[in-house]
Amino acid sequence: MVRVKSRYLLCELVVSDRSRLLLLDDRAIALAVKAAVARTHGDYGAALCSVGFSVKYLNAHTGIVFLRLPKRCYRLLWSALPFITSVETRGQRIPCFLNCLHVGGTIRTCQKFLIRYNAQQLHRMLPKCKNEEEKQQVRQAILSCSLTRGNNEALEDELGGEEEDEEE
Amino acid sequence: MSTAKVKMREKKMRNQPASVQYPSPPLAGEGSSQNGGDAPVSGGGPGDGPSDIHPSTERPKSSHHRSGWVRGHQKDGGSYAKEMPKYISAGGFARARAAEVSAMLKAVTKTTGSCHVFGALPKHMRRRAMSHNTKRLPCRLRDVANRMREKSLQAGSKKKKEQAKNKSRKARRRHGNLLLEFNRRQRKNIWLETHIWHAKRFHMVKKWGYCLGDRPTYKCYRPCYRAMSTHCLLQDLSYYCCIELQGEEDKLLAALSQLTSKKAGPTFAAALCISGRRQGSVVVYRAGCYPLQPLGPVTFLWRPRTPGTTHRQLWIWAHPTIKQDLLPELQSVCQCHEAVLPPVVPVVTPAEVAPTPEPELKPEKTPEATQTTRTKRKRNCKDASGPPAKKILGDGSRSPTTPVTWRSSSTGIVINDLTMEIVRYRLIGPQSHSVLAETLEAATGCDEMNKSQPSSLWWPEHCKDESKMKLHQQQADIFHILKDIYSTGELPSGTVLGLAVDDPRLTLPTKKVKALPCVKQAQEGDEEKRRELMLRGVPEHCCQSLLWEQSVRDNVTDNKISEQELNRMRSQVLVPGSRLSPTPLQGRVPILLVHQPGKQVGHEMSSWGAGWDLLLPKGWGMAFWVPLVYRGVRISGLNMSLKHSQNKGTPHFPHDYPDCPAGIRLQEEQEAELLDKFKRRPPAKRTNYIKHGCLAPFRCPWQQLAEEWELITREGGEERKRDSQTQTTADSDTVMEEEMTSHAEIAAAKPQSRFTVLRNRKSLRLLSGWCRPTTSKGQRPCRAAGVAPLDSSAMMSFVTEQEMSLVWVRLSLLSKGKPELHAMVCVPTTEDLKLLSNKSDNSGPQEPPHRNHFKSRMKRRKKGSKKAATSSAKTEGEGSDLPSASEPNLTTSAEDAKSSSESSTDLIFGLWPDPLPSITSHCSRVTLGWVTQADFSLSAGCGEALGFVSVAGLVNTLFNQPKEHRGILLLRNPTSLHYRFAKINIEV
Repeated sequence: MVRVKSRYLLCELVVSDRSRLLLLDDRAIALAVKAAVARTHGDYGAALCSVGFSVKYLNAHTGIVFLRLPKRCYRLLWSALPFITSVETRGQRIPCFLNCLHVGGTIRTCQKFLIRYNAQQLHRMLPKCKNEEEKQQVRQAILSCSLTRGNNEALEDELGGEEEDEEE
Repeated sequence: MSTAKVKMREKKMRNQPASVQYPSPPLAGEGSSQNGGDAPVSGGGPGDGPSDIHPSTERPKSSHHRSGWVRGHQKDGGSYAKEMPKYISAGGFARARAAEVSAMLKAVTKTTGSCHVFGALPKHMRRRAMSHNTKRLPCRLRDVANRMREKSLQAGSKKKKEQAKNKSRKARRRHGNLLLEFNRRQRKNIWLETHIWHAKRFHMVKKWGYCLGDRPTYKCYRPCYRAMSTHCLLQDLSYYCCIELQGEEDKLLAALSQLTSKKAGPTFAAALCISGRRQGSVVVYRAGCYPLQPLGPVTFLWRPRTPGTTHRQLWIWAHPTIKQDLLPELQSVCQCHEAVLPPVVPVVTPAEVAPTPEPELKPEKTPEATQTTRTKRKRNCKDASGPPAKKILGDGSRSPTTPVTWRSSSTGIVINDLTMEIVRYRLIGPQSHSVLAETLEAATGCDEMNKSQPSSLWWPEHCKDESKMKLHQQQADIFHILKDIYSTGELPSGTVLGLAVDDPRLTLPTKKVKALPCVKQAQEGDEEKRRELMLRGVPEHCCQSLLWEQSVRDNVTDNKISEQELNRMRSQVLVPGSRLSPTPLQGRVPILLVHQPGKQVGHEMSSWGAGWDLLLPKGWGMAFWVPLVYRGVRISGLNMSLKHSQNKGTPHFPHDYPDCPAGIRLQEEQEAELLDKFKRRPPAKRTNYIKHGCLAPFRCPWQQLAEEWELITREGGEERKRDSQTQTTADSDTVMEEEMTSHAEIAAAKPQSRFTVLRNRKSLRLLSGWCRPTTSKGQRPCRAAGVAPLDSSAMMSFVTEQEMSLVWVRLSLLSKGKPELHAMVCVPTTEDLKLLSNKSDNSGPQEPPHRNHFKSRMKRRKKGSKKAATSSAKTEGEGSDLPSASEPNLTTSAEDAKSSSESSTDLIFGLWPDPLPSITSHCSRVTLGWVTQADFSLSAGCGEALGFVSVAGLVNTLFNQPKEHRGILLLRNPTSLHYRFAKINIEV
């Protein structure tokens, strides 16, 4: 179809101290990315970054970020992301790096991927739990997302197969 | 972004997850309660306990703070650190993941974009026209879709639900049911008898309590004009109300003389009219207040005297808007306050009604025919199974118990309201007599056999009387002579002819034919008779008609042969298409023919638009209408009657009587209508009347005009007085005297402060003489010899008499241009007149464009409304320093005073707000008056306008103009800046 096309990067912020993750906000991340692009690609990169770049979503608890990049030059901008070593936010410098999990053409595909990824992560967490209380909580979390899925019949046909595989 | 766009976006983003972050401390606490059940955690604030580290603050984009994206970088970042949990646990982390998953799930499953239900369907399952036909949707979505569809339907069209038609079309169209439906529909507005005929061909308007045809749906402006000037134009005037007065002649005249004045022309007592040979017309005033409070023009017709009695009968025909004022006035002057209630009659079949052929003196004794029909209708409404519904004849909107007759015990006068009892058709045009002659045939007598036996019908009884038959023969002879006349205009105006005619349906031609005057050479005797008719009119005894008799009218109405019956009889004729040989006895109708005068004033096109009025008993409307139409006449509506009077040079009733209650009402309606039309345009596309210097484009503030001219003349008079005092002493005392009287008059006139329209014959004649040389083209020399020359003293005396009055004038443009409604009549300056004499092709001066002083105020107001909370005191303060007016006449001080009040009232872009500044001196040329009707006159070949000007202003102008240019004024349309020269005509 005729539209402005862009690429969405689903990235994970990896920090050493997870509690500091909560300090993050989308603005800080956007600034950090822009700074990194400017550093690596100069004015040209900064200019590319000024149009069509935005932080679409940030979850401060899980450290998930959706970045939107113009499709024309997303490879160039993407190449600058590994050079981010810290994010300056709320007067603090948080050392971190961005781990790209998925590249999608629409937000929707990224969201779909994220659902699968998160579910997978939860399942991985379950055996690593140290005590019973934790185990209970994780189990509850898994149940809760499967419960919501149960309500949504429409989604079942889309995601059902994969989830079942992982549960076994 | 507009609110609609915001709403759209909100709807679109409803399901999209927003960023999850800690925005600001207080909101973070709230976040937990906004969870919306997505996450299982419901907890307190962030600092509750170690297990509850981050009660999911996801979905901050809910009802509390819409801007889910928290912008704005807070500087004091330390405070966040305090609020935030120091460490995280595996359980909390898991919960966060779960919450995120659910949020994403929601986003993924619910499609965005359109809010339609079928958005939920995958693309390959969508089908065309699903929104139209919900059955194309899968079952599970149908309910929702139906609900949505209903909602959108309701929102889209706010019209009320169409009522269920419980009957089939066939049932509805059945005759009885159709009649019931028609009867129901004419309960509010009266239908004329030709209503259905008109409704099929005309644009109908609801006016004055009637449904009237305004103009035909086909294009016929010029054909109608051509018909008026060369052939014949037909109009149904049955909506005019007839009021019947009966009583002794002297008592009637004494009562009616209070309503009129001899100064305004012949009254009810005019000798020609009172004999019954002519129809008269008169302007009626409220009792005893002659120059003030006019009610409107009426026409009247006396019944010819019956020998040996002084009892007279008078019909007053009035416009329906006059009737409501006229009737109480008549009751009060005649002291008729006893309402005679219509007797409750048992339903009788029409044939049983005993006919009373002798002229009756008290018609109110006889049962009314309407009564029977009305009771019938009522009964039919109650039980539909009864006999078929009766067609309403007469006034259907009146309740049967409303009294229509009033009598006075002291004077013996009886007032009878004959509204809708008599059908009145107007034929306009020089050939209308030939149309009548071709359509109508004098009633044939009945043979001996019928004469011998008593009959319930009026005609056989009538035939028994030898003297009556002789009269009928004479009337028929005159009617035959009528055929030989060349043009209708040749007859003396207002001639009346009574007649009894055959049913015109019997001679209905099979094809429409154009009635032409018969050109046969008349014999000597006929020639003599014709000349007699043209000079003297119809002799008095031939004006008698049995239409005056209520009993005969009722009899004729009740015994009309139905169309169906007539067709049946026709089908039984041996030779198809031939005439019914013995004319059925029911088919004799008494009628009255009344001549309508054409153009009487002015010198050119005299007797243009003359014609005949045809008066019929009710019920016979369609029986005469269709045969008339088949004679090739044109039919017109209200619109054409306006043009007719305009071309004829006579004032048309509600439009050209701004001092009558009906005229005032019409003006208000017109203003509201025009203003509404004006407001419907976007402001940028409206005419800016302020810039055009047009103060009142939608109405004419006559009162203010008259007052201003009164003021101007008084000032002028004082100046002149000073001059004359220095020059001549002889003159001064007379002026002084006038000055005194004028002041006294002003003092007296002030409290009532009402303008009047000049209808005094003598004053009009004087004014008309002063306006010359002005027949509209100015070709003829002035021939009025006996007019006093216009000089200072004559002017002064005239003006002081008529200070607050307006005069009705006709203006014809000298060059091109088409005047429009509410065009301004202005005084030309001396330079303008010079221009006129210099160059013949000069079309007229221009008005410099005015400045819109209200523009800034409008803007400010708009701004103010946007801010909504700005102090009103500030705006008022600013309002006082308006840009000063360019014209010296504009009273800025008055505007200042206004400004505070106006800030509350609404300003309409392009219109002056209500307290108007000085009207006369607003433009560069002094305003004299306005135009009430204007168009390109097809008869004169130039633009013609009818309007009113202030008498004082006009006389002043005429006095100041040089002789050769006397009577030349300027005319300017409200939407133009161009003045056009026009000549003024006052014709008496």
